[in-house]
Amino acid sequence: MSSPALAPILIKADRAGFTLIPAPEAPFADVMEFMDHKLEESRDFFKNSQMVLDLTNRPMGSDEISALCDKLYQKATVRVVEIRLGEDLSFTVTGAQNKVRTAPEADRQSRDMIPVIVRNTCRSGVRVVSASDCVVLGDVNPGAEIIADGDVIIYGILRGVAHAGAAGDRSARIWALSFEPNQIRIADLVAVPPRGGKPVQRRFEIAEIRNSVIQVLSL
Amino acid sequence: MAGRIVVVTSGKGGVGKTTTVANLGTTLAKKKYNVVLIDTDIGLRNLDVVMGLENRIVYNLVDIIEGNCRKEQAMIRDRKLSNLCMIPAAQTREKNSITEEQMKALCVELSSEFDYVIIDCPAGIEQGFKNAIAGADTAVVVTTPEVSAIRDADRVIGLLEAALVKKINLIINRLNARMVKKGDMMSTEDIIALLSVPLLGVVPESEDVVVSTNRGVPLVHDRSSKAGAAFRSMAARLNGESIPLDGDSQGLFGRMKRFIWN
Repeated sequence: MSSPALAPILIKADRAGFTLIPAPEAPFADVMEFMDHKLEESRDFFKNSQMVLDLTNRPMGSDEISALCDKLYQKATVRVVEIRLGEDLSFTVTGAQNKVRTAPEADRQSRDMIPVIVRNTCRSGVRVVSASDCVVLGDVNPGAEIIADGDVIIYGILRGVAHAGAAGDRSARIWALSFEPNQIRIADLVAVPPRGGKPVQRRFEIAEIRNSVIQVLSL
Repeated sequence: MAGRIVVVTSGKGGVGKTTTVANLGTTLAKKKYNVVLIDTDIGLRNLDVVMGLENRIVYNLVDIIEGNCRKEQAMIRDRKLSNLCMIPAAQTREKNSITEEQMKALCVELSSEFDYVIIDCPAGIEQGFKNAIAGADTAVVVTTPEVSAIRDADRVIGLLEAALVKKINLIINRLNARMVKKGDMMSTEDIIALLSVPLLGVVPESEDVVVSTNRGVPLVHDRSSKAGAAFRSMAARLNGESIPLDGDSQGLFGRMKRFIWN
């Protein structure tokens, strides 16, 4: 690791900020150790910057991504603003958030960030986490989770779990072409559909908090 | 031309992967294609039992990969069809004794000699599953009309898409037409709406399946069985023949009734 050519993660700087490119075969522990070292060395240089994580050639698990993002945030308050993904989406379109953020801060952030757009059906086991709004162009099947700090908008049928305003924003809403969910959450409230309710005709519906209760309304 | 590599998978156990492999393979072999079946369920092999070839096993998949034998030595020829072979799984080893690269290399090698390489995938989505799908270009996902099996099938389809397996087909096994009519079972349409992958066929629930499994003779040899007929038409569709989907499970009466209703 002494030679820069063999660095497990490449840090590129350009006008927009920094891009992190992990080497394709680098073990995760090495990446973490190297970043630790770099951040320690030049903390002031990186402080408060925004970074892009490029995973086109080296997919990472959601736990790895969030561990790396947490480290960046804690060491030098670096925010990861974009994660570039390879082709195997469902392994990588996942968490990247700092769970320690306070609600008002998250509220301000989620408004001015571009939404995460998912262009395929979310199948069981997929977990999409967005620091802003999240738009799904497809169904959300049972077992899938969509978690957004802002609104969740689904151009399809919601059958899985959707969580809007995950960082505590009670004004967030969930929009879907049809609601057949396991559970919906907005901010700190959880709602389950009534058991044994008659199947209603599919129609565009919105879930929002009214009088401290989650209500699903049709237009 | 290289043959096709088909993996039969489901996520959930006990939905009929092994039965499907045995029947699709036998049907394709009856159509004069050279077919090899691979059991990748290392540690829990049972394709050999369904095929009735248990007592002929000398070498297995792990022996081929570790170089203990030539691959021809581990291939067991079917009792009736000389163009159908099977590579059994090792019973005394574990799933991580082979890697994805080794499995992929073996599949590619076999596809140059055979028209069809059909892989029986273990249940679950761990190493065994990853090995099984490593070399596949086509996947057949088997599910039953139960919520738990469909949930697992959905997860598996997601993983297959992530692994860039382009052609994914669905088989619905053990459908009970009477229960669907009463509204006690999910219908074919509901399942397809949820999983959104092309349907290869529907197998009606039948006692014949248990009998054939216990006897070790694939069901498609029995010309009178409805489930066998379903497997035959599915193999034909997999082979690219166009056979209409209706009438698989309904019989003449159902078709007539539908005709009158419409």
